[in-house]
Amino acid sequence: MADGRGPAGVVVAAPDRPTSTDATPAPPRRPAGGWWSPRGRERLLQLGFLVPAVAYLLLFFGYPVVQNALMGFQEYTTRTFYTGEAPWVGLDNYVTVISSNVFGTAMLNTVLFTVGSIAGQFVIGLGIALFFHRRFPLSGVLRSLLLLPWLIPLIVSGAVWRWILDQDNGALNRFLGALGVADDPGWLTSTSLALIAVIGVNIWIGIPFNTTILYGGLQDIPQDLYEAAALDGATGWRAFRHVTWPLLRPVVNVVLVLGVVYTIKVLDIILGLTNGGPANATQTIATQAYHLSFKEFRFGEGAAMGNVLIIISLVFALLYLRANRRALAG
Amino acid sequence: MNTRAHGWGYTAIGVLILAVMLFPLYWMLNVSLQPSGSAVGTPWIPLELSFDGYATALREQGRNLVTSLIVALGSVVLSLLIATPAAYALAQFKVRGAGVVLFGILISQMIPGIVVANALYNAYSDLGLLNSIPGLILADSTHGIPFAILIMRAYLLSIPGEVIEAARVDGAGQIRAFVAIVLPMSRNALVTAALFTFLFTWSDFLFALTLTTTETVRPVTLGIYQYIGTYINDWSSVMATAVLASLPAVVLLVVAQRFVAAGVASGAVK
Amino acid sequence: MARRGASLRTALPALVAAAALGLSACGGGSGGGGGGGDVTSLRVLDYYNNEPGKSTWGRKIDECGQQVGVTIEREAVPGPTLIAKVLQQASSRTLPDVLMLDNPDLQQIAATGALAPISDFGLSADGYQEGVKNASTFEGQVYGLQPITNSIGLFYNVDILNQAGITPPKTWDELKTAAAALTQGERYGVAFSAIADYEGAWQFLPFMWTNGGDETNIASPETAEALQLWVDLVNSGSASRSVVNWSQADVMEQFKVGNAAMMVNGPWQFPALDEAQGLNYEVVPIPVPQAGDTVVAPLGGETWTIPQTGDPARQAKAAEFIACLNTDENQIALASALTTVPTKTALRERFTTEVPRMAAFTEIVQTARARTGKLGAEWPTAATRIYTAMQTAITGGAAPLQALQQAQNG
Repeated sequence: MADGRGPAGVVVAAPDRPTSTDATPAPPRRPAGGWWSPRGRERLLQLGFLVPAVAYLLLFFGYPVVQNALMGFQEYTTRTFYTGEAPWVGLDNYVTVISSNVFGTAMLNTVLFTVGSIAGQFVIGLGIALFFHRRFPLSGVLRSLLLLPWLIPLIVSGAVWRWILDQDNGALNRFLGALGVADDPGWLTSTSLALIAVIGVNIWIGIPFNTTILYGGLQDIPQDLYEAAALDGATGWRAFRHVTWPLLRPVVNVVLVLGVVYTIKVLDIILGLTNGGPANATQTIATQAYHLSFKEFRFGEGAAMGNVLIIISLVFALLYLRANRRALAG
Repeated sequence: MNTRAHGWGYTAIGVLILAVMLFPLYWMLNVSLQPSGSAVGTPWIPLELSFDGYATALREQGRNLVTSLIVALGSVVLSLLIATPAAYALAQFKVRGAGVVLFGILISQMIPGIVVANALYNAYSDLGLLNSIPGLILADSTHGIPFAILIMRAYLLSIPGEVIEAARVDGAGQIRAFVAIVLPMSRNALVTAALFTFLFTWSDFLFALTLTTTETVRPVTLGIYQYIGTYINDWSSVMATAVLASLPAVVLLVVAQRFVAAGVASGAVK
Repeated sequence: MARRGASLRTALPALVAAAALGLSACGGGSGGGGGGGDVTSLRVLDYYNNEPGKSTWGRKIDECGQQVGVTIEREAVPGPTLIAKVLQQASSRTLPDVLMLDNPDLQQIAATGALAPISDFGLSADGYQEGVKNASTFEGQVYGLQPITNSIGLFYNVDILNQAGITPPKTWDELKTAAAALTQGERYGVAFSAIADYEGAWQFLPFMWTNGGDETNIASPETAEALQLWVDLVNSGSASRSVVNWSQADVMEQFKVGNAAMMVNGPWQFPALDEAQGLNYEVVPIPVPQAGDTVVAPLGGETWTIPQTGDPARQAKAAEFIACLNTDENQIALASALTTVPTKTALRERFTTEVPRMAAFTEIVQTARARTGKLGAEWPTAATRIYTAMQTAITGGAAPLQALQQAQNG
């Protein structure tokens, strides 16, 4: 992150579009001639472009982040809200939380949930994006309607899916029963199926986001590259591997990193569907953190759980982007 | 993988994909038209149509829909005002610490919303910003600004430096170059960022819940919750409100769909 | 979250936001001015945000407001969001003058010091049902007055039972046989809520308590027997496997459309059930382990408290207001309108005469217990253990006693 390019966009030079952040080095700290020279005023102006955003971010995110990080080290209960007293307990909260019965399960569920969701959303999203990449009548309208699942309030999606997945009367089981395929599986009531069901619903919610961004990336790949490849005899799958995929990589990065960051803290849909049950089969770190804070009022422990989540996100983002940059450079 | 025109066969497949993806929305519509709003034993097709849910929703939620609209549009304006210059600076200026800022933005996306909401409640309470539209606009922009910066920066990276240099050589100042040259070129990215900011804000529930205490300023996402009570749920009103609440979004999507594709396209690639 | 005196926390946002918006800090919403002077309005916070509670309580609140000579500023929030709101208000010192709390939450809030004992204002809970009083008591002091209460009982579909020639069950064994006999086709014999939330624990309590189980240590044979009953009902097919995902509202829906012949639920469902055409139902107490036992069911309902707003005049007015809500007449009126039970034991007979349909619940409430009676502020943790064990056992993850032990030690 030290070279100024940042994690979220890796620079790819497409053949005919040079970018402007190539090899020039960062300017010296203090502009030659001081801050009020023409050069210096220029620098100030440049910083001025950034200041509102940085101020906003510090105000609205900076304080809560610090507050939340500290809460993990304090004994924070309902009493604290009223009296302001929150004795420092060091790592006690983390110890309690990590050694609880449910932590291992929650961790495993979180990993499965995240990996399952991202894999599903991405693959299906890419498939649909590729499909819509062709021009056919009404493709534009259809594509925009696809964004609808993402817009429905989660409380509504949760309720609707609960009915659809109901074991006795839900639309899904009625459908499967009519086909004669399965015998009333307990989607939300069986410890083995619940997590799969929840992942499925999350995939449904996430497909539109993936499709839209990937579609955009596909649109941007110049047509001539495909024609050139076709001349060399590469079409279909080979064209995908050698033309589409490499040029799509940067978009894929954004989609995957943001996807993981958003998915790992998913809360409302799980609460709406199963509340973490049955028997903790769908309990993730995020839902457990919520439960500790707002149901059992053990805010310090809840914050500790939440911080575990943030650390995992961070580690993932760093590792992934580092590996990716290396891959692209090499 | 090319873009030659295909026929209606593809449209049929497209409709099928859409049908599968949108089935739950159909179910939502179905329940909203049921007389008793009972979820169990709901038939596949609403044979007995009942518009009670919609009557209730329109009667009680009309004002909330307008509130949501104002807050969402306001948030779009604010987010673009703050995010676009920042994205430009991060993309085109060689500013030290740009990496730190970007990293900070990524971290901000990892914070649970409720943490931000609680901190804001205290501050707003002291400042008298509770139950105010400007307050909600400020808060909801936390959804839009980080995302907008990331998306727009990616696009702005690909604007050739020469174009801007040319303008500068002709005597335009930084700001002039930005407004007259860069903004028009990045229209698609702007529209995309605006669109997603609108959608994020429109569906926000957390700040609506936390930062209001009366019914005067109540976004429609909170309005829906009114029908989900401590003891009884009135599902047909809930679903009717949800349907009504998605209409503006649907309209926007279909109208702006060209921009969504094209904008995000060049945007996220670089 | 916590208020730590003057600090950068308030200074920084205040500076920038004020500058940006040109606002002058108007201060928070902490009720009227300082002490002394006449109190002309009271702020009330409750969670009766939809019908029928909203208008019924709305009317009563306005009436009592008029009676004590104030206008009421009322905020009614959705149920699950009340506590979060209370905590926010506690930390920004903007608690209302009158705060309604669900009775098991009172201990938590009282423990913070944010509530004033009602005896400070000359009120007392003498004459109230024992369990109701316990729920509002923290460390020997009473912090709230609860005018109405409810509990849960066994609802049954009169027509279905008559057709099958079955009488409403009184013991566990009768329950099992009746449920088995009534399970036909799409219809289950009995439905209850075993959801992974406090509702699930609440439904389990009468079975646990009546058999001698105790929430301080759930890994006991008595509790295991109660849990075994539920497990047997589900395993034998008399109750749907979906009970682990049903809230009480879902259970009511199942009963309403005839998918369940009997259900465990509370009197707040009467209005919704009455809407169903042709549904003929009655209520009996929940079956007991052995004939002759008395059922011990949990107590529901909300209690009205007086937060420490720092203004004694307002607090005194709030106390008058709460006393008004709790007069004999108002208790009866509220209980009839909302199909619940008055809490003053003396009103019992009168109420049963005036509202015969509530006879079963009035009887159940006599011997009911408060959830927080023994554990106080530790109740939420115990409730979590209960429903975790319950779910593990019902989904076949472990035998009842093991599931309870695991949860107890978790």
